Amino acid sequence: MTSMLENDNWSTTTEFKENDPKVPAVAVLEQLSRVIDPELGIDIVNLGMVYVVAVDGADVAIEMTLTTPGCPLHASIEEQVRTRVGELDGIGDISVDLVWDPPWTPMAMTEEAKRSLGF
Amino acid sequence: MMPRAASGAAGPAGAAGGAPPALPISALLAGALSLLVGAVYLALDPAVLTGYLGSPRVLATTHLLTIGFVTLVYLGTLQQLPAVLLVTDLAWPRMGLLSLPLFVVGCVLLVSGFAVGVAPRLLASGGILLTVALGLAFSQLLATAATRPPRDPGGRGLITAVAYLFLTVFFGLLLAGARASPQLATITGYPASLHQLFGLAGAFLLGIAASGQKLLTMFALSKGGKTWRLTALTYAIHVAMIAALARAVLPLSGGGDGFDQPLKWLALAGLASAAALQLWEVMAILRRRLRKRLEAPVLRYVASHAFLPLSGVLLLFGLPEAATASFLLGFVGLAVSGMLVKILSFLTWTSVYARRGRREQPPLLRDLVVPWLEPLITWGLALGALATSAAIAMSSEPAAVIAAGALVIGAAAQLAQVVVIVQRTLFGVRRAAPAVAPVSAGVAKGSKA
Repeated sequence: MTSMLENDNWSTTTEFKENDPKVPAVAVLEQLSRVIDPELGIDIVNLGMVYVVAVDGADVAIEMTLTTPGCPLHASIEEQVRTRVGELDGIGDISVDLVWDPPWTPMAMTEEAKRSLGF
Repeated sequence: MMPRAASGAAGPAGAAGGAPPALPISALLAGALSLLVGAVYLALDPAVLTGYLGSPRVLATTHLLTIGFVTLVYLGTLQQLPAVLLVTDLAWPRMGLLSLPLFVVGCVLLVSGFAVGVAPRLLASGGILLTVALGLAFSQLLATAATRPPRDPGGRGLITAVAYLFLTVFFGLLLAGARASPQLATITGYPASLHQLFGLAGAFLLGIAASGQKLLTMFALSKGGKTWRLTALTYAIHVAMIAALARAVLPLSGGGDGFDQPLKWLALAGLASAAALQLWEVMAILRRRLRKRLEAPVLRYVASHAFLPLSGVLLLFGLPEAATASFLLGFVGLAVSGMLVKILSFLTWTSVYARRGRREQPPLLRDLVVPWLEPLITWGLALGALATSAAIAMSSEPAAVIAAGALVIGAAAQLAQVVVIVQRTLFGVRRAAPAVAPVSAGVAKGSKA
């Protein structure tokens, strides 16, 4: 099943893919919202960096991006993602795929995130 | 729009890596210490700024600033920057274990050689070590670029700037050799102007422009500048360097009498064009930024550019030494200082929080910085640069005293800042709340289509 999550605060969407999920994709996204970009002080979901959350049984696959290719924070943010998602009960394998297409732009951020940076 | 996996980028999914973080962190700390040592050394006898500027104390101070501070910080960032600018893993990531200590020892020998009254053996051994260290760093950068040739002028500019840096030290070595040996001088002449020009414009201006375009765009969340401007800036610097080289070489071959003045003006035109393009580029990046409130170190980087036109004006008024001081302390010093704080925060944070199994919420980068130290750094270094230029231009001892005092304050604040960044990263800091509340409430309200 593929579904899109939207709400009033979001200018971007994260694509959900679920196949007999042991954990709802939305719960994974909630965990991802605890991963903060240390430079901007905003979580990666509000920054619009999470493109896809796919849950296949107990396994979770995340496709996400960073502000720029070669970002020196990539290893630590990826590790934070694994740690936070791994805190959910019943999680199996976690894969994190950093992608650069489409590239991240500040316009992917939620309105609240944009406001906090003075847009 | 469906995301697609990265292609052509290095490492897993385009992630790129640098050297072990301890290497660049050590270099950045040593660089900040060098600036303070240089400022204190100047403060012991600030009147030297009003006298002969080729005196051993002035030369020692200048080299502490250019090599000990600027170049060492530059070499430190080169352990990480290629991963960002070239988007590939650093080749031979442990090369810094050799090149950085060689560079530091070379720097100490060279500065000591000037400080004790121009000691040829110390200068020669220091110069050789610096040349070898920079040769290693340049080779490492070339090997890195070979795995993923740079496609943008920023990456190409970075490599070119390091090549000019290598040539700067080489010309310095030739200059020292020519002064020690009249026979060598008949062959090489005294390439003092080449040593200065290649360093100031070829290495520092181009290096700041090439790396700054990407970094300022990142830190300001800008849509970026124009690649043609950086390309044109690079060519303008090439023109200036070639003209200066021809001006130095033609007399040695017994010709070029009628070319000296045209070549001089061509070099100046190249430099002026490069400076103007850099100003234009920075303003364009700022105009297109989405992050309106810039952090203090980024503002310091931006503010450094005010010294470019000032240097040009001083040059027009026939004050080349004051113009050099304004360019070196004001433009280069402030720009490097701003990026030093930003890059060090990234490096230390990454070195600690990339480890597996850390469950505590990491601090934000801005939590690592002491806010009240930032204005001290910016105003100390800026006032120091202005007062140094004034002291040189007007032979003013009060201005020299103000310059030395301000530089000591700025450099001490900077050293304190970088030590605190490392200390807070290693030993923890109270974490500020994120700027935006996590989306969990929003997720709960969300509806699946």
